[in-house]
Amino acid sequence: MHHGMPNSSHAIVVEHLSKRYGTLLAVDDVSFSVATGEVFAFLGPNGAGKSTTAEIIETIRTPTAGHVTVLGMDVTKSKAKVVRRIGVLPQGFSSFDRITVRESLSYYAQVFGCKADVDALMDLTHLRDKADARFNTLSGGLKQRLGIAAALVNDPEVVFLDEPTTGLDPHARHAVWDVLKGLKDRGKTVFLTTHYMEEAELLADTVAIISKGRIVAADSPARLTEKHGDHLRLTLESSDAAAPALIRKMGFEPTQMSGASICVQVKDADDVRAILGEIERAGLSLRGIDVRKPNLEEVFLKLTEEHRPDTAGRGSR
Amino acid sequence: MTPRIIAANLVVRLRSFYRERSAMFFTFAFPVILVLVFGTIFTTPEHLDFNLPVQDLSRSAASARLIDALSTDQTFRITPVPDGVDAAQYARQHKHNLVLVIPEDFAAMEARRLGARDASVSVPLRYIHDPSSTSVNAKIQALETIVAAMNQKMTGTPPFITLVATSILSEQYRFIEFFVPGIIAMAIMTSSLGNALNMNAELRQKGILRKLATTPITRTDWLVSSILYQLILSVASTVAILLVSYAVFDVRLHIGAWLPLIVVIEVIAFVGIGMLLTPFAKEAESASAVGNAFLFPMMFLSGTFFPVEMMPAFLQSFARLLPLYYVNEALRAAMIFADDPATLRMAGIAAGFAAIVFVAGTFKTRWDGEA
Repeated sequence: MHHGMPNSSHAIVVEHLSKRYGTLLAVDDVSFSVATGEVFAFLGPNGAGKSTTAEIIETIRTPTAGHVTVLGMDVTKSKAKVVRRIGVLPQGFSSFDRITVRESLSYYAQVFGCKADVDALMDLTHLRDKADARFNTLSGGLKQRLGIAAALVNDPEVVFLDEPTTGLDPHARHAVWDVLKGLKDRGKTVFLTTHYMEEAELLADTVAIISKGRIVAADSPARLTEKHGDHLRLTLESSDAAAPALIRKMGFEPTQMSGASICVQVKDADDVRAILGEIERAGLSLRGIDVRKPNLEEVFLKLTEEHRPDTAGRGSR
Repeated sequence: MTPRIIAANLVVRLRSFYRERSAMFFTFAFPVILVLVFGTIFTTPEHLDFNLPVQDLSRSAASARLIDALSTDQTFRITPVPDGVDAAQYARQHKHNLVLVIPEDFAAMEARRLGARDASVSVPLRYIHDPSSTSVNAKIQALETIVAAMNQKMTGTPPFITLVATSILSEQYRFIEFFVPGIIAMAIMTSSLGNALNMNAELRQKGILRKLATTPITRTDWLVSSILYQLILSVASTVAILLVSYAVFDVRLHIGAWLPLIVVIEVIAFVGIGMLLTPFAKEAESASAVGNAFLFPMMFLSGTFFPVEMMPAFLQSFARLLPLYYVNEALRAAMIFADDPATLRMAGIAAGFAAIVFVAGTFKTRWDGEA
């Protein structure tokens, strides 16, 4: 976790940020910074303080304590200046029901007082053939793409995307990802909140994970998996009922998966070789193997474990 | 406050309004239909039913003179009732609210009174009436006037006391003249309160506000555009109501500077109430329920459809707590009576109310994602 100094190489600097709702401390002394030009993914389970933090940076909410600057400007003191230089896709973006895509974009452009190239924005978000469709006739994916286009009307330096693909089908999600890659190529700083690890791995330069209102990890996706994923996952295809017992005898903890799959968490390649050797010596059948490094999802689950509903739920009741 | 932003908001809201048929209907067509329906029901009966079935059992020159007098100046349209039938039965059967019976001895009695100068002789003219009919009293009154005039004439001297009427109204004042200002006030109230509630609920429930809060739109920009939008709709609906009233009922109303001023006051008052009620109407569905809970008592108790004076005293005192009452009174004082001091008084009270709720509503309205 790098506590950034407020300087020009950081588009966003968050220092000791807290937000309290009554007795609930939603965000608890959070500090991080986002470098100019990077795609920063902010991950966390629902209710971890992810959107609250994002909305404070986006000027939608006000902090209880701490300090947030965007492009060197304080978000609470200079809200009017900040909003002109950022673009926001809020969570669950919505617009006026009976206003068309083209009209919506013109509206936001007029509100910002800028001459936006509405056609170019529609091209970028692949909305050209929906230009005259009213908002309430758009599918979820199209609505999100309109939201992204609307976030770009003022040619912002920092773009905030709060759960841009939540609730979308795989096709719509990939279409949104294409748009997001386009933003990255254009050198925008992107602040992305999501609970899809795939999305973060695919798009982000830096990932920060928030759990129970605190940042538990922040680094590049590759370094996070390297640092926190100090194991391999070995999957064996064996119809032999004796296989799990054999592996257990070696001191590992196999789990029987669906069908004939057995899953074992091991430390390194030597463990894999040892297990395979024992199976061969015992003459057990082996139809297939798969060795995998842990992905971001596993790191996420590990780091936010105490937040999972089955364990976290008890504390709040 | 940025004119460019206010203009953008106005365009979006007017477009949305134009594209929603039901909003168009309730803002423009509904009040106009009310004027047409109520205007037709309450304006025409005066000419409609002045039929008077008469059973002339006398069949004499004297009874013919009486029937003649009843139909002069087209007061009554006389229809004969056959001799043999029971008059009350006849009235029930043919749904007549008034039937007159001239007795058999009418001519003989008249001869004794006029010829023999016997002042003790009088003749009863029986009328059968339906007291539940609303227009029957006017007919009975007309009948009594004609009979009184005939009695007077028989004395042979002109009457001593005569009545001369002077109206407090500058023009003739019918129900429709009373009704039109009430409907104007009702239409403005319904659309101002309804739109304010629905828009605020939509902004919050659908999360549009989260987006707008990250743009340069300020709360002032939004409030000013809401008021302007509502004013445009209110002026348009007032013009529509007035056009139809003039074209169909030839109303006689005073249209002056008071009317637009009172419209502005009413819009501000009910947009203000809408902002205050927003916390109770977070969803679009509950917004209309909350709105109706407020609108209906207001509509019926503030003198929209009938004068407040017709209600019992405790309801009248209650009406005096309702803002719409003052708007109605101000509009009628200005449009019917052309009474400037009364208009000023009533509009002043409405304006005071508007200022209080609008300022309170402004403080209550949050322009961020915290709400």
